[in-house]
Amino acid sequence: MRGAPTAATARAAESSVEIVSGERLLRAVVHLPSHEPPRAALVFVHPFAEEKKCSHRVFVEMARAAAVAGCAALRFDFSGCGDSSGTFPEADLGAWRRDLRAAFRYARERLGAKRLGLLGLRLGAALAAELAEEELELACLALWEPVVEGERYLTLTMRRSVMRRRLTAHEGGVELDEEGEEEDEAAEIDFDGYLVSREMQEQIAEVDLLDEPKAYPGPTLVLNLSGRAKVSPAMAKLASQYVSGEALPVRQEPIWSTVGLVDAGPTIGATMSWLTRALGV
Amino acid sequence: MSDAALRERVKELVVECLFLDVAPSSINDDDNLMEVHGVDSVNLFEIVVALEEDYGISFEDEDFDVETFSTVTSIAALVERKQAEA
Repeated sequence: MRGAPTAATARAAESSVEIVSGERLLRAVVHLPSHEPPRAALVFVHPFAEEKKCSHRVFVEMARAAAVAGCAALRFDFSGCGDSSGTFPEADLGAWRRDLRAAFRYARERLGAKRLGLLGLRLGAALAAELAEEELELACLALWEPVVEGERYLTLTMRRSVMRRRLTAHEGGVELDEEGEEEDEAAEIDFDGYLVSREMQEQIAEVDLLDEPKAYPGPTLVLNLSGRAKVSPAMAKLASQYVSGEALPVRQEPIWSTVGLVDAGPTIGATMSWLTRALGV
Repeated sequence: MSDAALRERVKELVVECLFLDVAPSSINDDDNLMEVHGVDSVNLFEIVVALEEDYGISFEDEDFDVETFSTVTSIAALVERKQAEA
């Protein structure tokens, strides 16, 4: 960031674009800074299912903050999500990985920035980390509360769903029935209100960011978002696997599971400070 | 860890994880967290992950009911039970 944004510098162009990913059409929004060319560009990678919906506004605010600082941003919806084509139950991680590569190519070819970075949240962060292992020239990698172990992520999310139903049943919510036992045999599972294919479930379970040291050598930020003052062991371990990894605890309500407006200032502020150091934006 | 120490630690976790704007010591052991401190029942899940991390325990689906997570005393009792089972 070069100086505080004024009314003039705070103006950034935003436009809706379409990105072709195989047979799918992805809807995206480009945020361009008021001056050209952008000092860098960030591709945002959204999280999974309900977490995407909850965190949408935070991504918008982060993209706008980046644009004000001279960094272009590309926010896109994976196949079956948001305004993109396809349906959610059809989605699988293979398609989403192709979508991310398509969005990355779009950013490289169309945003006019020489330096490209990735910013992901939760499962989106895991996919961003995977792509960084292929795109070693990436300028930076920002991982917000990444899903580091897919199996545990699935377990915790399913538990959260169970707990929500049990805890809200006394407030007039839906009572639990026997469907949980039947889901073991179903082709799709009810994942916190979203139908998720068995294939997708198995692919997510295979995600493991802690398995080995990372090849990506560039600046890497692992933001641990919670009420706690210390970085969790998993986040610390992940950051340590990167050549230039840094884990930071940020006191932040869970932006991926909180319904309603959340003040994401701590997360955006920490990320912008890091971008300033990492990219000089 | 003594019962009292465990309850104090649970209070700290409740304040940390649920972003309560109160001192841990101001929470009474048997306060209903939802009724007295306005905790959103859905957010109670945030405590679960912290408890598992800090105490090396693992909860099962059947552990999650409103009574178990309603007070510091009941949460501490669950932690003790899980530690004994481990």
